[in-house]
Amino acid sequence: MSKSPIFTSSFNNPNMKRLILITVLLFIVSCQQKSKMDPNINPFFQEWNTPYEVPPFLDIKDEHYMPAYEQGMKENLEEIDVIVNNPEAPTFANTIEELERTGKLLSKVGRVFSNLASSNTNPKLQELQRELSPMLSAHYDKISLNEGLFNRVDAIWQNRENLDLTKEQTKLLNDTRKGFVRSGALLSENQKERISEINSKISGLSTSFGQNLLAETNGFELILEASDLEGLSDGVIAAAADAASQKMDAAESDEEKDKYKDKYVFTPHRSSMYPFLTESTRRDLREKLYNSYVMRGDNNNDTDNKEIAAQIAKLRAERAQIMGYKTHAHFILDDNMLKTPEEVYDLLYKLWKPAVKRAKVEVADMQAVADSEGHDFKVAAWDWWHYSEKVRKEKYDLDESAIKPYLSLDNVLQGVFNTTNKLWGLNFTEIFDIDLYHPDARIWEVTDKDGSHLGIFIGDYFTRSNKRGGAWMSSFKGQSNLDGRERPIVVNVCNFPAPVGDDPALLSFDNVVTLFHEFGHAMHGTLTDVKYGSMAGTSGPRDFIELPSQLLEHWASEPQVLKSFATHYETGEPIPDELIEKLLNASKFNQGFINTEYLAASLLDMDWHTISADDELKDANKFESESMKKVGLIGEIAPRYRTTYFAHIFSGGYSSGYYSYVHAAVLDSDAFEAFKEAGDVFDPDLSSKLRSSIYSMGSTEEAMDLFVEFRGRKPVIEPLLKVRGLDGSE
Amino acid sequence: MKVVKFFLFCFFFFCCSITHSHNPEDFMIAEIERGQMYFENEEIAAEYAAALKRQRIRRLAAMPFYKKFYIFVKAGFEHIIPQGIDHILFVLGLFFSCITFRALLWQVTAFTVAHSITLILAAQGFVQLRGDIVEAIIALSIVWVAIENVLFKETSKWRYSIVFAFGLLHGLGFAALLTQYGLPKDNFISMLLAFNIGVEFGQLAVLLLAFILIKLIMKKNWYSNEIKIPASLIIAAIGLFWFIERII
Repeated sequence: MSKSPIFTSSFNNPNMKRLILITVLLFIVSCQQKSKMDPNINPFFQEWNTPYEVPPFLDIKDEHYMPAYEQGMKENLEEIDVIVNNPEAPTFANTIEELERTGKLLSKVGRVFSNLASSNTNPKLQELQRELSPMLSAHYDKISLNEGLFNRVDAIWQNRENLDLTKEQTKLLNDTRKGFVRSGALLSENQKERISEINSKISGLSTSFGQNLLAETNGFELILEASDLEGLSDGVIAAAADAASQKMDAAESDEEKDKYKDKYVFTPHRSSMYPFLTESTRRDLREKLYNSYVMRGDNNNDTDNKEIAAQIAKLRAERAQIMGYKTHAHFILDDNMLKTPEEVYDLLYKLWKPAVKRAKVEVADMQAVADSEGHDFKVAAWDWWHYSEKVRKEKYDLDESAIKPYLSLDNVLQGVFNTTNKLWGLNFTEIFDIDLYHPDARIWEVTDKDGSHLGIFIGDYFTRSNKRGGAWMSSFKGQSNLDGRERPIVVNVCNFPAPVGDDPALLSFDNVVTLFHEFGHAMHGTLTDVKYGSMAGTSGPRDFIELPSQLLEHWASEPQVLKSFATHYETGEPIPDELIEKLLNASKFNQGFINTEYLAASLLDMDWHTISADDELKDANKFESESMKKVGLIGEIAPRYRTTYFAHIFSGGYSSGYYSYVHAAVLDSDAFEAFKEAGDVFDPDLSSKLRSSIYSMGSTEEAMDLFVEFRGRKPVIEPLLKVRGLDGSE
Repeated sequence: MKVVKFFLFCFFFFCCSITHSHNPEDFMIAEIERGQMYFENEEIAAEYAAALKRQRIRRLAAMPFYKKFYIFVKAGFEHIIPQGIDHILFVLGLFFSCITFRALLWQVTAFTVAHSITLILAAQGFVQLRGDIVEAIIALSIVWVAIENVLFKETSKWRYSIVFAFGLLHGLGFAALLTQYGLPKDNFISMLLAFNIGVEFGQLAVLLLAFILIKLIMKKNWYSNEIKIPASLIIAAIGLFWFIERII
């Protein structure tokens, strides 16, 4: 004992004892806080006792997904079997409501996976995504083609008049049945066989279309010498040099490496092409790069998309006819807010004239610049970016770097929070002790005006190399009131530049608009208050769900609101009026072009999908040029997407749906006009009506009814024309 | 991939459970427009480190003052024990050189004052020196102190000045760590102070531990030959190894 006097004495000291006790206690407490989950069991197979049921991201590993998906699909099918084999007669409760309760595990894993595979991905997750895609589509096939299930749903539907259902229940019943019908449940065996034949043909063609397009986009490169870089800025040159060295690293032979040595590479990817078209003073090279872009899929080679597109359109028409619709557009629109091709054409034509008129003015402006520079050519499509930039500098000049100091991310967030506070009384409290999937993701609790919990909001704003480009809203947990009050966890993901050093993140005004846009989706997902989860939040038709997001953008550019949050990050000064004016003026720049190219693509989409099944196979180029000639597209503008690279409609899910963006814009401009008319952008009555008839409703009623409920009438296009400077005032 | 079929069922099954307001197909389209994603591990790791720092600063800003203060004292302490092994060796070098407690106290004080000065100046951004140079000279300072212990019996007159000079350098080293760690803007000075206090506690803890272990044998006449010189030689060797490692 005498050899260790320190220890004996310390144990005898009561203070020391206390200290040790406290230390031990703290240790135990901290261990418990760290993990409630059993590390030996897949977290998807455990209850999440986390605060607000936020997924336990730190416990979820890449290898947990596949087993959870497999188990989730298995359980899902078993649950469906239980419903189908229920000996009791089908009722709304034992069939439709039970259906709502199925697939919990699948959704638990699916939400985490689909979010992280986009926002924090890695090669392993990407591979999983490719593996899962066909598995999931086969899985959902099994459910939607389940005859026993359809028979039960149909029996309830036939008897719907006698069931005393609420409005929401009726809509759910209708939607559920419609889903089966649209998958072919009412067809004869022969018809079903033909549909599945068509489907597999279309899916094969769609895949080829996408692959060809990828090959054509990657296949062209403009390799330049240092002497070809006239007009390009340092950043653009550096990126092109980078692209060349990347190609050099990937090259296999020395000969190929030499091709890229000390060269500069531009490609038809928009991110590479647009800066070149804007800055380069070499008209010949602009033409070359631009043509490589617009000729993608139209080079009469192995990767040509002309015939593929025509075949897809024809097969779709045939499928629609079998389903009992006149054309594919009729079939698709039946599910949308605008119900018929006539309504869509009517909208597009109304916007077309003012857009083209404005575009012609823009051409004249550019021609004046070109003439004043002493050129004697007529401004062509490949000149547009270069000369419009000169017009922009002259007429709409806006120094982004003068604005950014007023737009720190924290200020903008405060601005959007305050906006929803003034509209609906919401409050946001940041939570600091929950670990998410990445340290840049932040989390807030959203509370309602009475202080009650409304949901969780996650914001993940900075770009990083393992995040996909663009901006989106998604959710980690849905809303439902079926079995108790379940509130959602929604997420916004953006790609704003990360701050440099210790300075705060400063946004451009475009970034601010994007933030408000995605936040609008987030509010749609948060304010939702419906009984059935499948109708919650952003589940509505595509030409409607951009309304809640685009609508919120209007508050971002409202001077009164902008002034309240845009204060200088160093001095605290509010943004000067003169800057606001310039900013708002700049939003009218190039609108003729933007709207014309977009509307042209929308019309092309509609034309392709209103052909009849009996028509002969179209020659894609002839079809396209006739279609554009019919409406009078000017030569200086190509459709935003030409047929051969219109992946949205031939490879993605936007067929007869590309118009949705502008339709939502009509809705949001008209809806915001209501606040303008009231003379107060935070008018209390309108705000609460907006919430009760749109943001909280999900898809529990027809979208048009929701709009009319809010506005008191159907939407009109005039407010949009004014917002975009197409009303002739410019 | 049955894209079309898949899309049809999207509305009522898939989309209900996984609501992407921007459709998954958008990503395929984005890939065509923007090009493929490349994963560069170094870049991802650097982005992650920067994000961690931002998160730490956000979390700190939301804490009450005492909690923040405590965290910075702790961070300072941890930068000595266990992370600052080179500083530990330097302080031990000083320890072995001193016959009297008084001499040790003076040297440690000189060291502390010096590194506090540069820590504050560097954290404020007034002084900047390349990190690799600072690190190399810190390693060299360890060698110097240890060699001195072997060569001289008594502490030389100008030793205090040298210790002071080395202290200035160690301060720069602390500052580099602190900047990596991140200081909240609001309580800059007090958190700097807290960090420094933590560093002092760390140093004192090292000395106290060494003192307790050595106290029993310090008076013995074999202390110098069997403990002080071999220990100093080992310290010098480690310092030299680091120096070479850091200049390559």
